[in-house]
Amino acid sequence: MADLSLIRNFSIVAHIDHGKSTLADRILEHTGVISQREMRAQFLDDMDLEREMGITIKANRATCPYTHDGREYMLNLIDTPGHVDFHYEVSRSLAACEGVLVLVDATQGVQAQTVANTYLAVEADLEIILVINKIDLPAARPEDIALEVEQVLGLDASEAVFTSAKTGAGIDELLAAVVERIPPPAGDPSGKLRALIYDAKPDPHRGVISHTRVFDGGFRRGDSVELVGVGRQFLITEVGKFTPKLGAVESLGAGEVGYFFAGIKTLADVNIGDTVTLAADPTDNPFPGYHPPQQMVFCDFYPGIGTSTEALREAMEKLWLNDSSFTYSTVGSDALGIGFRCGFLGLLHMKIIQERLERENAVSVVQTAPTVTYEIELTTGEVKRIESPSELPDASTMNEIREPFVKVQMIIPADCVGTVMQLAMDRRGKQKKTEYLSTTRVMLTYEMPLCEIIYDFFDKLKTCTRGYGTADYELIGYVVGDMVRMDVLVNGLPVDALSVIVHRDKAAVRGRKLITRLKKEISRHMFEIPLQAAIGSKIIARETIRAFRKDVTAKCYGGDITRKRKLLEKQKEGKRRMKTVGNVAIPQEAFMSILNPDD
Amino acid sequence: MTQIARSTEARGPDFGLYVHIPFCHTKCGYCDFYSVALKDRDTGPLVRSVQRELETRLGRGSFKIRTVFFGGGTPTILPAEQLESVLASVTDSVSPDDLVEFTVEANPATVDDEKTHTLVRGGVTRVSMGAQSFWPEELATLERLHSPEDIAPSVSTLRTGGVDQINLDLIFGIPGQTLATWTASLERAIALEPNHLACYGLTFEPQTPLTAQRNAGRIVPCDENLEADMYLATVEHLASHGYEQYETSSFARPGCRCQHNVLYWRNGPYIGVGPSAAGCFDGRRYKNVADVAGYVRSMQDAGHAEAQVETVTIPMLITEMVMMQLRLVEGLDRADFVRRCQIDPLVQFGDVLERLVAIDKVAVTDDFIKLTPSGRLVADAVIGELTSASPTVERLS
Ligand SMILES: Nc1nc2c(ncn2[C@@H]2O[C@H](COP(=O)(O)OP(=O)(O)O)[C@@H](O)[C@H]2O)c(=O)[nH]1
Ligand code: SF4
Repeated sequence: MADLSLIRNFSIVAHIDHGKSTLADRILEHTGVISQREMRAQFLDDMDLEREMGITIKANRATCPYTHDGREYMLNLIDTPGHVDFHYEVSRSLAACEGVLVLVDATQGVQAQTVANTYLAVEADLEIILVINKIDLPAARPEDIALEVEQVLGLDASEAVFTSAKTGAGIDELLAAVVERIPPPAGDPSGKLRALIYDAKPDPHRGVISHTRVFDGGFRRGDSVELVGVGRQFLITEVGKFTPKLGAVESLGAGEVGYFFAGIKTLADVNIGDTVTLAADPTDNPFPGYHPPQQMVFCDFYPGIGTSTEALREAMEKLWLNDSSFTYSTVGSDALGIGFRCGFLGLLHMKIIQERLERENAVSVVQTAPTVTYEIELTTGEVKRIESPSELPDASTMNEIREPFVKVQMIIPADCVGTVMQLAMDRRGKQKKTEYLSTTRVMLTYEMPLCEIIYDFFDKLKTCTRGYGTADYELIGYVVGDMVRMDVLVNGLPVDALSVIVHRDKAAVRGRKLITRLKKEISRHMFEIPLQAAIGSKIIARETIRAFRKDVTAKCYGGDITRKRKLLEKQKEGKRRMKTVGNVAIPQEAFMSILNPDD
Repeated sequence: MTQIARSTEARGPDFGLYVHIPFCHTKCGYCDFYSVALKDRDTGPLVRSVQRELETRLGRGSFKIRTVFFGGGTPTILPAEQLESVLASVTDSVSPDDLVEFTVEANPATVDDEKTHTLVRGGVTRVSMGAQSFWPEELATLERLHSPEDIAPSVSTLRTGGVDQINLDLIFGIPGQTLATWTASLERAIALEPNHLACYGLTFEPQTPLTAQRNAGRIVPCDENLEADMYLATVEHLASHGYEQYETSSFARPGCRCQHNVLYWRNGPYIGVGPSAAGCFDGRRYKNVADVAGYVRSMQDAGHAEAQVETVTIPMLITEMVMMQLRLVEGLDRADFVRRCQIDPLVQFGDVLERLVAIDKVAVTDDFIKLTPSGRLVADAVIGELTSASPTVERLS
């Protein structure tokens, strides 16, 4: 059984691109678990998409032997997702640690995700080591940045470790600090088994691999364990450590980090945050309330060009086995046919799922405008949650609608404060705090309705801060709002897939925008097509697509037949991809264009 | 006319024969027919190849050829003796009893007494003349070679020489044209008393000099509304002068419709001869090599010049019948459609057809499905709707 005093469990948290993956590489390399030759690609960031989107979605990890002052330590690096869409997953990974490295780019300084992640580490009561990275860059300002971090996050600048994950400078000091400053795990090696599942992934051949951290007791292959939250028992078929490849071991004891297989078939059978204990001798002290992932953003996916509903369903099922943190259920739309209502942890999560669906399954997806969950209090006193405009009951049957509010933290250049405040005000934001990180950078804290930021807020923020602004958000609760359903009528008929829930004050502007975009997407027909946005029976915006007056081929004789027929066949193909509402053909692009944050 | 396609007489159906002569004096800016400027070219080899193809294709009277159409290009550009011998090749292999119409395309200033004589002697009964406009500026925009003054003399030369069926082609929607100049052109054409008029809206065909000019912004296309007004004015004006509209762009005195074209619009069988010509019968369509040299070589080496061949399946035929027959004012022949496509058009077009009827673009009678006057202006959209209808497709909602 391992000596607890020789174990250190820690994660790295950082804003995108500050060097987390590179630093992980260096740590693995310096501790000798992986040679320079077999670097990177194989082990860290194993999904293309993550690499392209510059984020780490699922944790990567390694157990690294490290000798310090003549003693052989076992350093367990536990990776965390970088984005707070995965707030809960991050918090579970952190729960498996005693310490965390808060990594900050010496040229960029604190960014929104640095702040959000540090708060999580503080909440988890972890020892925090501030690491200022990229000191090799000419533009690096390590001391200034350390002071900035001290100012914003209250971490002691004098204790910062300075590294270059690129050149390897400072890595030894960093590893020494990990050993010296992060406390060894507490726990009772001979107590009843109490282990945390902090991550789980499907394995192509063996069902699900569960990543675990043992707190008390221990377990070995052949043990019968219970997953407390799920209330089911499983037989452990393999126990191992991350080397970083999977390396089977005899057993895992208190303080250790590793994995197990236990005949768990799908991700649906395991919950991140759940407690593992021995079936024969269960712990009386499971980890407090793991909770299922909270979907905050919803939208519908419909089969797009050349994709059948069945193909999309299969793709969703397959992806769900990989990431059960999104939800989906069948919906029908008059305009778009049969599709799926999906729930996501956040905006980024939505984008990742959509891209993975298309990329990994060669299906094409038409996505409707994202929406959020609303809480409805009915006149009967009953409270229910709705996820789509179509579920909104008649106004006369409701006492009130409550919408989700989030705390938004934005870090922006000081000279952009005015424009960003204007933007936040336009989105019904309530300003909470303004803090100067330095003379040139400001952190703004707002409370805003989630529905105002899922639309195009982050793109707008980037634009009005010349790309420098970063933001993060966190759900704080539900607040009463004057929300209404706005319908879009094409040629007098409502198009269900285009309905949105909006704040009454915003309806007119939003409606006009929506209809202007729609007008660009729908081509002229043989008749005039009115486009209207309406709240109930009240029209709040209107546009007209003029009819074409003349559309006729002047000549067609024997020699032209093939060519002209082929044009018609092509046109027929094109029409297949359109959705017909009334007599009007609406291209799929129209549904997408509604989402385009281009004006 | 419908009988042409439907004939079930012993010697098989009524055929049309098209012969393509791919030479013009110069190329007009809007034209996308396959033709080349004549310059000092020797047209002899081409004419001989065309004659060879005629012999090969027609054999000895195995087809019942009812109509012949010499198009181009400008067939009348050929030297008289070549013209004579190619016309003779046709009359040699076509039974004079079968033939009801023999048309040759001509351009003003390409016909003189001698040519006219050659035509008439060669059996030609009808000449279609590219008049296009009676305004010099408009002819210049079209890059036409002739001038307005050439038109009347050419018509009278033909008439004196014995050609009494004359069509004039006119173009509206020319950049710079107005409703007034257009009706004036119409008036002047009517004054020449042709028994047929073809009035085409100017089309910007891909890869023509005219389209290039438009794309470069050097010319501004006619306004859509003005063009629609011109079209409506044409129909009305010609009707009041006794020219009945029987097809999108065709107007005729009673009994003077172009039988050859009607055959195309009824999806009848036709044989095509010459570079770029197409033929279609027995469910097979072919298109010949376009360029003159390639055509001549092919004829020499292979004995034919087919470059593309396709089998016309029923779904293709459905599209083609809608596309062609709706051009006729009479409309799509329901019985013919059932017989050839093996499905009732009302089933084939189902609710799409109902919607088009509801918005007054299409009318359905016992025998025909046809465009309404308002539908005729947007014929392509209507045809696009109908040909996109698929009764077998599952509906999702
Ligand atoms: N110059 C320099 N570049 C670095 C350093 N650390 C990381 N990078 C680069 O910064 C970029 C982002 O690093 P990465 O590790 O992928 O960031 P992550 O998104 O936090 O995982 C990559 O191009 C790295 O090569 C460093 O210490 N110095
Ligand atoms: S004369 Fe007729 S065929 Fe020749 S180029 Fe002009 S339009 Fe084309």
